[in-house]
Amino acid sequence: MDVSQYLEIFIDETSEHLQNLNDCIMELEKDPENMDTINEIFRAAHSLKGMAGTMGFKRMQRLTHDMENVFQEVRSDKLKVTSPMIDLLFKCLDAIEGYLDNVKASSDEGTEENELIIKELNDFIAGANGNAPAQAAEPAPAKKEAAASGNGGFEKKYFEFELSDSERDKIKDAEKNGAHVYGMTVFIQKECLLKAARAFLVFKAVEEFGQILVYNPSSQDIEDEKFDSDFSFYIASEESYDKIRDAAKAVSEIEEVIGEEVRYEVLAAKQEKAEAAEAAVEAAAAAAAPAAEKAAPAQAAAKPAANNAENKKQTVAKPVTNRTVRVDIEKLDALMNQVSELLIAKNSIVMFGSAEAGDFQSQSFHEQIESLERITTNLHESVMKVRMVPIESVVAKFPRMIRDLSRKLDKKMELYMTGEDTELDRTVVDQIGDPLQHLLRNSADHGLEDNATRLAKGKPEVGSIFLKAFQEGNNVIIEVGDDGNGIDVDAVRTKALERGVITDEQAETMTQKEIINLLFLPSFSMAKKITDISGRGVGLDVVKSNIEALGGDVEVKTELGAGTTFTVRLPLTLAIIQALMVEIRNEKYAIALNSISNIEDIPVKDIKYVESKEVIHLRGKVIPLIRMDQVLDIEPKEEEPESLTVVIVQKGESLAGLVVDNLMGQQEIVIKSLGKYMNNNKIISGATILGDGEVALILDVNVLM
Amino acid sequence: MAEKNLEVIDKESKQYIVVMVGSEQYGIDISYIDNIVRMQKITRVPKVQSYFNGVINLRGEIVSVMSIRKKMGLEDDVFTNASRIIILKLEEKGAIGVIVDEVREVVNLSEDEIENAANKGKFINGIGKHGDELISLLEINAIVDDNI
Repeated sequence: MDVSQYLEIFIDETSEHLQNLNDCIMELEKDPENMDTINEIFRAAHSLKGMAGTMGFKRMQRLTHDMENVFQEVRSDKLKVTSPMIDLLFKCLDAIEGYLDNVKASSDEGTEENELIIKELNDFIAGANGNAPAQAAEPAPAKKEAAASGNGGFEKKYFEFELSDSERDKIKDAEKNGAHVYGMTVFIQKECLLKAARAFLVFKAVEEFGQILVYNPSSQDIEDEKFDSDFSFYIASEESYDKIRDAAKAVSEIEEVIGEEVRYEVLAAKQEKAEAAEAAVEAAAAAAAPAAEKAAPAQAAAKPAANNAENKKQTVAKPVTNRTVRVDIEKLDALMNQVSELLIAKNSIVMFGSAEAGDFQSQSFHEQIESLERITTNLHESVMKVRMVPIESVVAKFPRMIRDLSRKLDKKMELYMTGEDTELDRTVVDQIGDPLQHLLRNSADHGLEDNATRLAKGKPEVGSIFLKAFQEGNNVIIEVGDDGNGIDVDAVRTKALERGVITDEQAETMTQKEIINLLFLPSFSMAKKITDISGRGVGLDVVKSNIEALGGDVEVKTELGAGTTFTVRLPLTLAIIQALMVEIRNEKYAIALNSISNIEDIPVKDIKYVESKEVIHLRGKVIPLIRMDQVLDIEPKEEEPESLTVVIVQKGESLAGLVVDNLMGQQEIVIKSLGKYMNNNKIISGATILGDGEVALILDVNVLM
Repeated sequence: MAEKNLEVIDKESKQYIVVMVGSEQYGIDISYIDNIVRMQKITRVPKVQSYFNGVINLRGEIVSVMSIRKKMGLEDDVFTNASRIIILKLEEKGAIGVIVDEVREVVNLSEDEIENAANKGKFINGIGKHGDELISLLEINAIVDDNI
């Protein structure tokens, strides 16, 4: 079966299950007795195994299977949840994630067997059962899968497939007739190209000695080469087992033949056991059903996207790079409605176009234009909503990360997250993970003091790291902070001096904020020693540039001894913004409306000077003036007018007044990139095309401040 | 001029568009050319490399436009009715517009009509001989390279 078309869904759902497992195991660590969590984990592991199996990812299937087994033991109270077990389970999840990454990159799970983890898992199971007899207690179908995914250990597979009644009768009859019945499994070399032919030769060889009673897989499947690298059969013969085995082994490219004489009673007894175990599994499946039902609608929603992707994906080995968004069907319905409205509006306009113009008509023509305007605005909003996803998908992995860091650094810490349901554009969400992760690591490593120091300072022993996300106007704010020691401004200053980043004079005149901002300079790491968590010099500068690339910015607030907070500000949407169009001489520029606080007419005589820079005093605030014509290299005006039009822009808490010539009004603009050739100094964040086809540049006021 | 376009194209010949910049004829490998448009309003972009005139709206896309004269250190452009913007498309960085004084014709140059220019400057990778005329063949990658 060609399953490549389901790859997208597989990747999406596997990530979800992994996340779910991560969360549950974290919970389990806190509350090892919680039966609900254990069941939830079992279900998730089971689904993972099933999906991996369907997609033919055998290694992944094997690992999840063994993991599921451990939980089976925990569920049946044979095994207690312990700290080493939690660690091992996390290791498992990482390994599965490794497989998933491989699948994403190359549509293949890779070759890592993770033997070590599997062995440890099995040790746990063995420990639970007092070793050997454990095997029988396991559900038979699960065991079969384990055998199928085995990687070269020569199990007695003939013993594992189930026999139908008629097949058992055959064996019984043969036994009655005085023949020996041998169960045999033949392993063909993995590199063998004509497996069916080898199987045929084996059968031909052994049939000289007796009659083959049962084939597994069926003889038809073997003929069609529908088997992995081994097949089993029961043969009735009067000859000794060794002879038959030697005959089978004489066929070339056969790796190994194992088998033994079997007796009917043994087979019958085994069958009964298997049936009992199956009943148990069915009960488990029933429990898992609601979870599966829950997943179903989501899957349906993802399908159209997957179908699209399918068209593009011809070769299986191509990396799976298509990104999908799961969309609420209601959002799509709204979109569809608006599109139909748009069509109606278009039709009316076409009608007006063909009719003769008149007063009455020109008025309703105007109405149509207005309605068109309304529809396009709504349409834009809807499309944006479709692109929005909660940041949960990114931040959900952080609790696990902090847990691991806490162990690694030997510091007690707890992560508090709020606002995980805050929505952001998919593109932004995809890219925000790394910077946030970096900030969190920073907090854990540099921010928080070790436990002893904390106690000595009278702080709670367990450090707190928090991540708060919320919407503020057209921005989404994500705050990452800790209640650690804060940034030592003097230390940063000294370090900057040492490195020659700033001069002595600068060091004296720089404000605290300016000094803290030095941390964002490339390769300015404050870590005293380099750990693998942070301190390699690729640090905050990368965070800053990543966030700026998304059209956002990052600020730091710190208080020595009390903690540090990084505030990341991101635009809600990327492609279309509301902007104020301004004119400076004859050039037109757009300023994003969300950064504008107000607009003022300032008489020139009200301009004051602070440190020979122009400022205005407005409602108790001193606001620096920025002459846009100077910044943008435009010829200065010949004579200064009596009053200036000043656009007051805001970034966090700082304000600035941009001096422009004219205001042209508010407009919805589509942001376009300037391309890769121009080395812009970031003042211009892009361009847009106006109604008359002219190009206007978009000012990034964040850079000016 | 027109019949020259109909010449049979040899396997080893390349097509060049011949343009005028100042008093010299230059040839641009036709495989780089996406489009040739008339002069239109160019929006100045502040604080960029000096050889960029600005950006234009090319059917809804923003395309940077550079002056080949400024890049090669010649005197400033004078836009006339014959001035054109040649839109080049490079695989890595996308479209870019180059202003030329005039677009003359398309020629086929076979390999033996091209002479390697040993000391002809960084922007030229050869001299094409077409009848009596000499055509300097532009090295497009050097023209759009920021560091040259």
